Amino acid sequence: MSISIHTSISAAVYENENQRQRDERRKALLGVRGLRKRFHEHKRDRLLFDIERIEIATHGAYVLTGINGAGKSTLLRVLGGLERAEIDSLRFQCDDVLRVHPYPRALREAIVYVHQHPILFSTSVAHNIGYGLGLRKMPKDEIARIVAEAMAWAGVSHLEGTDPARLSGGEKQRVALARAKVLQPKLLLLDEPTANLDGSAREQVIELIPTLVEAGSSVVIACHDRDLINLPGVQRMKLRDGHLEYR
Amino acid sequence: MALPLVDATLHAFRLLVTGDADLWHIIWVSLKTSVIGLLLAAPPAVLLGYLIAMNRFRGRRIVIWLAQAALSLPTVLIGLLLYLLLSRRGPLGELQWLFSQPGIVFGQCVVALPVLLAFTLAAVQGLDPRYAETAVALGASRRQVMLRVLYEGRFGVMAAVLSGFGRVISEVGCALMVGGNIEGQTRTITTAIALETSKGEFAQGIALGIVLVALALLMNGALMLLQGDAHAARERG
Repeated sequence: MSISIHTSISAAVYENENQRQRDERRKALLGVRGLRKRFHEHKRDRLLFDIERIEIATHGAYVLTGINGAGKSTLLRVLGGLERAEIDSLRFQCDDVLRVHPYPRALREAIVYVHQHPILFSTSVAHNIGYGLGLRKMPKDEIARIVAEAMAWAGVSHLEGTDPARLSGGEKQRVALARAKVLQPKLLLLDEPTANLDGSAREQVIELIPTLVEAGSSVVIACHDRDLINLPGVQRMKLRDGHLEYR
Repeated sequence: MALPLVDATLHAFRLLVTGDADLWHIIWVSLKTSVIGLLLAAPPAVLLGYLIAMNRFRGRRIVIWLAQAALSLPTVLIGLLLYLLLSRRGPLGELQWLFSQPGIVFGQCVVALPVLLAFTLAAVQGLDPRYAETAVALGASRRQVMLRVLYEGRFGVMAAVLSGFGRVISEVGCALMVGGNIEGQTRTITTAIALETSKGEFAQGIALGIVLVALALLMNGALMLLQGDAHAARERG
């Protein structure tokens, strides 16, 4: 009797444990083990960072801080597939990614990096926002509908016919965020989205960020901006001396 | 001395205005061979220029060095090499292109190629790398990135094509050696000027010179208009 109770309890514990692991896994969006970036500088190798692990949860919001030159941008660019680095292992949505270079299609479709100073193509604001959808061969009328929604979301509807070169820094940043958002990325990597913005331009960009997480994206923001770091529900990561610290 | 020149110039204008058939045929042959040669050379040259600009590979600097050195290659030397290639006993002799319009077109291709390549390379290299990175980040394939980057660098690419045109329409060495300056067939603006001058017949030479100058002004004017827009846009940004 006691044996059978014991076994059923163990089974329940085991079952529970399994369930917990499954939940944990379901929550994990991106897991990286062993990420190193070296630069070849003046005929010498310099190690920019050597990160033991990175865990990004589904619907998670993170800020990545660190002094200038710590490698924040480089880390985001590596995760976004714009730069190469040595990576021991990478899991994305519970699947092992066996080959990181060239950057796999599945990651490319799910992860979008946005530059610190985004550049807009010299077409129109609407074309810029719909560009990624056009690449994915979406029908034109559907693109137009999604772009109109995204422009309203970013507060740039009034700029539809404006030459992108005429936009202010804040407007460019909001168009770039809309351009990334329409792709419904699983993970958005934002490189100092409020740098060099002040006043209402900065506030408008900060207001958009929580709504990106609500819309289903995980977000990693490299920044120094106190107001971004203190957004509710944001986890902090810090790059210091080549290592990543979670806080 | 001044009078014969004035007379010749007046005569030149008369030839142009009255639509002298021989003169306009020469202009037609020149334009036709130059434009076809340029159109044939442009796609591979622009593609190569783009690829060299965007990729890092072993020997890249050597390729750039050779492309830029090829810019200052005298066209008469290119003409000599093509002559040897196309002459009856040459490796391409069977084509029978020597002293024919296809031969001139081939020559113009070879003359235009380094200009198109080097200028495209410079245009793409000078472009903000964020254009390509943004396209990549938004999911563009290699081909889509190339189309995006060439579109953003379109003024530079147009300048490359116009410079290529300037080089082929004005070169004399290659057209003379490969084309042979045959009246009514392979006589081009520049080879005709050289011949007429040597015969002491200045009027036709001057008339053709006027056409060349007009073409140069037209092409560069168009380029300046386009680039003026681009500069204005950049200043606003």
